Amino acid sequence: MSDRTYEILFIADPNLGEPEVDALAALVQGFVEKDGGKLQKLEKWGKKRLAYDVRRHREGYYVLLVVEGTGAMVKEVERRIKVTDGIIRYLTVRVDEELRKAERRKAKRALGDEKRRGRTGSPPARDAEVQL
Amino acid sequence: MNGDSRSFGRPSGRPGGGAGAKGGGAAGKEGGGKRYFFRRRKVCKFCADKIDYVDYKDIKLISQFVPERGKILPRRMFGTCAEHQRKLTEAVNRARHIALLPYASD
Repeated sequence: MSDRTYEILFIADPNLGEPEVDALAALVQGFVEKDGGKLQKLEKWGKKRLAYDVRRHREGYYVLLVVEGTGAMVKEVERRIKVTDGIIRYLTVRVDEELRKAERRKAKRALGDEKRRGRTGSPPARDAEVQL
Repeated sequence: MNGDSRSFGRPSGRPGGGAGAKGGGAAGKEGGGKRYFFRRRKVCKFCADKIDYVDYKDIKLISQFVPERGKILPRRMFGTCAEHQRKLTEAVNRARHIALLPYASD
């Protein structure tokens, strides 16, 4: 099975310093790579106010990882994240399928526009005037 | 009967008037007592902006459709199409889980 793309977004304890958050991110990256995953992107959003209290914290340090791997990998990574101190909330979302769909629709739309213009015989890239 | 209704100028603007509706409908365009509310047709913002993927991380976009209290409003409020409303709901729920949006705030 080909690999899938996932986004792992987690919230780290805001009382941790910058280096500790970096260490956490590296730790999660390690979880991913241990199970044959690949890191595509790592983004640190920094400290943000939470919309509601999570484990008695008002703030949180958001870190986003975009990762390639299998479903089994996600299962294992999530299990490890759960037992990791300093991560107060996480969310894993599979994105490849949705993004691919969006891509396809975009392509189809571009094609459709071109076709319609061709059929009405109007020049490309200029909107034809509507006759009532 | 047709002539009658016209000369008397009966109020015939209301549709669905049973027997008199045939003649009345044609004549009653001007004299009707019904008021029409012209409302601008709402268009799905996601369709208009050609947003295919509603990202739960894009709080700026999502929060336009979620009022302060954090409730998701029905489609009729914003005119989003069914497909995009579904995607919006999914995105909002994800954002809620990760504390970017409130579940409910007093």
